[in-house]
Amino acid sequence: MKGFTVGALFALGLFALGLMLPVRSAAADVGRECVYQSQVRPFLKQYCAGCHNARVKTAGVAVDGFLTGETIGAQNGAWEKILRKIRTGEMPPPGLPRAPQSTVNDVVQFVGEELDRAAAARPDPGRITAHRLNRAEYNNAVRDLLAVDWRPADDFPADDSGYGFDNIADVLSLPPVLMEKYLAVAGKVSRQALGRVRLDAVLDRYTAPRNRPQNQRISEAAPVGSRGGIEVEHRFPADATYLLRVRVRFAPDPKVPEFLDFRLDGKLLKRVEVKFTPSDEDEELRRFEIKVPVTAGRHQLLLSFLRDDSKNESPTLEIAAGGKLRRNPLGVDWLEIGGPFDVTGPGNTASRRAVLTCKPAGAKDEEPCALSILTRLARRAWRRPVTASESARLLRFYRMGKTDSGEFEGGIELGLKSILVSPHFLFRVEREPAVRAADVYRISDLELASRLSFFLWSSIPDETLLGLAERKALQRPGVLEREVRRMLADPRAAALTANFAGQWLHLRNLASMKPDPVLFPEFDSALREAMQRETEMFFDAVVHEDRSVLDFLDAPFTYLNQRLAAYYGVAGVEGQRLRRVELPAGTRGGVLTMASVLTVTSYPTRTSPVIRGKWVLENLLGAPPPPPPPDVPALKEAAIGKTMSMRQQIEQHRADPSCAACHAKMDPIGFALENYDAVGRWRTKEGGFEIDASGRMPSGESFQNASELKRYLRANPDEFVLCLTEKLLTYALGRGVERNDKPLVRAMARDAARDNYKFSSIVLGIVRGAPFQMRRATEISVQTKEGRHVGD
Amino acid sequence: MLVTRKSLSRRSMLRGMGAALALPALDAMIPSLARGAGQSPLRLAFVYVPNGIIMKHWTPVAEGRDYVMPAAMEPVAAHREQLMVLSGLSQKNGRALGDGPGDHARAAASFLTGFHPKKTEGADIHNGVSVDQVAANALGAATRFPSLEYGLEGGGLVGNCDSGYSCAYTNSIAWSGPQTPLPPELNPRAAFERLFGDGELHDRATRLKLARQDRSLLDSVLEDAGQLKRSLGATDQLKLDEYLSSVRAIERRVQTAEKQDIEKKNDASRDPTLPKPAGVPTTYEEYARLMFDLMAVAFQTDSTRVATFLMGREGSNRTYRSIGVPEAHHGISHHMGSVEKIDKLAKINRLHVELFGSFLAKMKSIPDGDGTLLDHTLLLYGSGLSDGNAHSHVDLPVLLAGGANGAFKMGRHVRYAPETPLNNLFLSLLETAGVREEALGDSTGKLPRLGELAG
Repeated sequence: MKGFTVGALFALGLFALGLMLPVRSAAADVGRECVYQSQVRPFLKQYCAGCHNARVKTAGVAVDGFLTGETIGAQNGAWEKILRKIRTGEMPPPGLPRAPQSTVNDVVQFVGEELDRAAAARPDPGRITAHRLNRAEYNNAVRDLLAVDWRPADDFPADDSGYGFDNIADVLSLPPVLMEKYLAVAGKVSRQALGRVRLDAVLDRYTAPRNRPQNQRISEAAPVGSRGGIEVEHRFPADATYLLRVRVRFAPDPKVPEFLDFRLDGKLLKRVEVKFTPSDEDEELRRFEIKVPVTAGRHQLLLSFLRDDSKNESPTLEIAAGGKLRRNPLGVDWLEIGGPFDVTGPGNTASRRAVLTCKPAGAKDEEPCALSILTRLARRAWRRPVTASESARLLRFYRMGKTDSGEFEGGIELGLKSILVSPHFLFRVEREPAVRAADVYRISDLELASRLSFFLWSSIPDETLLGLAERKALQRPGVLEREVRRMLADPRAAALTANFAGQWLHLRNLASMKPDPVLFPEFDSALREAMQRETEMFFDAVVHEDRSVLDFLDAPFTYLNQRLAAYYGVAGVEGQRLRRVELPAGTRGGVLTMASVLTVTSYPTRTSPVIRGKWVLENLLGAPPPPPPPDVPALKEAAIGKTMSMRQQIEQHRADPSCAACHAKMDPIGFALENYDAVGRWRTKEGGFEIDASGRMPSGESFQNASELKRYLRANPDEFVLCLTEKLLTYALGRGVERNDKPLVRAMARDAARDNYKFSSIVLGIVRGAPFQMRRATEISVQTKEGRHVGD
Repeated sequence: MLVTRKSLSRRSMLRGMGAALALPALDAMIPSLARGAGQSPLRLAFVYVPNGIIMKHWTPVAEGRDYVMPAAMEPVAAHREQLMVLSGLSQKNGRALGDGPGDHARAAASFLTGFHPKKTEGADIHNGVSVDQVAANALGAATRFPSLEYGLEGGGLVGNCDSGYSCAYTNSIAWSGPQTPLPPELNPRAAFERLFGDGELHDRATRLKLARQDRSLLDSVLEDAGQLKRSLGATDQLKLDEYLSSVRAIERRVQTAEKQDIEKKNDASRDPTLPKPAGVPTTYEEYARLMFDLMAVAFQTDSTRVATFLMGREGSNRTYRSIGVPEAHHGISHHMGSVEKIDKLAKINRLHVELFGSFLAKMKSIPDGDGTLLDHTLLLYGSGLSDGNAHSHVDLPVLLAGGANGAFKMGRHVRYAPETPLNNLFLSLLETAGVREEALGDSTGKLPRLGELAG
């Protein structure tokens, strides 16, 4: 903290966010109290206290005790809630008298400022507990450290989530079974990185997806003159000979010869003629195999049939009226890869290159070389320089492994295993500084580098970032911002899509959704995959092009392939690759009307306006409704679309006053999406009923359909931006956002507004903010614990 | 794309590659550890089904030996002499008790603990120690794994799991400490690799070398973490403590395995008796059978003596299309009296029992000591909810199965007074397994009439 006091640092942080420094003077205090007494208190009395008083205490809130303006800072938890309810127009409830909008605005502004002032006077950046790496982080860390890309952590037990994300430090526990797996996987990763596995031959079978038509090119990688086949990416464990065996289904065209091509990384290995008569029951005739030498590592294998342009394929391959092919074209059933056989060596794999950065020329060089390898890997894995005693210990494990195996690489293997089971790898730990000037202190550059890389990459820092931190250069003017922009542009930022967007938008649930195949026969794995990719690519675009986050609400473009475009009714998109498509004004655009989101917010057999409304409130507007009371009556499912519409059913259900309070907020938003069925297809009728997609926001604004809802959300972005900022902050910090963070969230959102809501402006706001850069000492945590104030 | 993997035997490798490369069927069950008669240890297993059961098809009308097998239990009727239906048992701590909604989370969390879980989404989860873990603590030293937790449906879902309860409460039914839920293993391949290694079936000398290396690594980790801990604040220390205790648990496990290896005790337990699974099978039925098979093998090889099995996460929305139920399970469990939904739920209940039945049959087919594996096992099958529609935590469906080493008089339906704590049964189970506990959760004493024919 050279040259700065903590208070000044905090103020600097706020200053960077465009806030004025608080001015403390007695006269100002009197003036503000005057405003409270003349404007705010009468407002509370007139519009709130009727229900929210000490006697009735509706929803546990009583405002009649707030006698002075001091209470805003002292009971900021309660006041944050009040502020949000008034700001969004959620309160007073419809039907009760409301103040003129100008009065509401004045109150909202005053209360917001008071809360911000109180926060600035009592800075609290919060505190993040020691953070165990979650599965995604472990996978990415070993990928970046050792070029190990087989996602070893997928076998770990699922990480529990809190606040909507699975990277919350407090929630990530470490049961013995996980430690057992850490130990086993560290060994496996070390062995495999070095290619020191015992290579038992195995036979892997890839079954061709049944829903990919065999009469077209199966992927962009397939040769233009090809049709059908199978494409797989396979990891070959060693330089060796492998067996490729394929089985074809259906029968070759009796009139024209058919050829099957084997390609490895695009290079033709062999062309075989497929010739048998369909009546022939000899299984062996359907199988074709070749033996090929392949180098260790990942390779792409592509099998395809030669498309004979001289013959007219259409008469035999034409799709009949019933949707069935008149004759099934010869296709690939499965591909088996057997091996390795006759291993010639571990190969020059990316992993071996990442580990073996020196090669001992003789016995004398072995220990210095081992030490250099292991110290370098430990520094990257532990995200900090390695101490002398730690180096000595690494060498000890090297010696043990060398002795046990008799090999140099056996020593490296054990040394590497010791790096991967170390608490310094498995935990992100931030230490208390030995000497600190105040209860709130800046974290070290190295700790900041880790926070950055785990936020933007879900992984360890790379050499550039680690180097900057070691030189204590990360905080120099311009450096932090430059690093953030560099990291967002890096392919590793895909982690934000997989982990942040995947959880924020509930996209991760798509894989486990099981729409009823009888009701939705179109829904298959290819469609599911396209839906998932659409949303991912769209999120990627907002990040990489640094677009306005309001594009999430509504945007004129999206990503489609032929299948999904046809599904959406968009013309002119051909092939299986998803590409950017400008959308005609109307039905789609933005995450809300993407098939992925519409599917994860539905039941297997029908839509749920309630789930969809709740999803919008929770994930776009930051206003989650409370959980339902027990014993709620269910909808008469069989009647939907027959004797009454979904909407009529739900409206009947909502007649119950105990349900109405919350459902009046959720359902009308969900109704706007009723034009999309349970798998996101457009519809104008539900059974025999015309869809009525009109609805209304909790604040009272009404809309006729989803387009109008999206337009409204985009035109009134404040709540959405606050919500997204809060979600991203939660994810960035790996802890829940507390009431003390709220003023900062507001400031970040204000800042983002000035920068056209660019994605990077929110990320930079978070990265520059006190909660990300600083830490609270343990001792004062007791005073700021939630629940200290009565009435919260 | 579906991927399966098979090992190629040395024989087929020697014969080279080619069309003749057919895979030999792996040997069927090998005989389990040779033991003297009557020496077989008792194995305990707890099988959980979610969303309650249609009780009118479950509870027998008559008590005693001559009850008519209810519809839901027909698939296990063949095992009647090794079954005991217990009615009237309850987990009252699953009730709201002022905590509002969240009955599914409380049902799962209280089922094996008899504890009222703390309502929270965050770090401060709190629950009691579950009966399987009390048993594992006492019996676990004898086997490589003190306990195994298997499941067919797990976490990884986004959003909170039930009305403000952390997903930890529904993902696990086994709790080794108030804040330590034990997540179930969901992947058959990973479960297999835990039991038999990751395809590298080392010889004893190599295994011993590895065990020695692992002990050194863990020692060094303990030292490191201990040092690190001293430089941290209180909440961080708690996290490190958890890590330290897990490291110690694994160290003990490594030592046990090493000791057994030195004494040449566990050669048999290192040999897989079933082929290594490639991953999660596509149908629920196959998946369940495979995981049950793995559990049977774990018992057979004496790799563990205590296990829990989650047939579905509480609140599960799995669909069961193969039996004509395309609707989400939890969704229709709130049937509100609809005959159609009740019929569908009964189908699901029956399917679960059928799968449990094939597990019993498997255990019965495995010789063990002086009888079969089933003779030396005590299984508890049940749910933390009886009527899923009304979220009832009383009169829970509880079915005991297995020979229990002769401790209980099976073949009966025994009815207990309403609201008798389920934990009373747990105390009795523990006693049968040789674990003396005075109290557990909300227990009020041991459950009478289990070992006697009268009543």
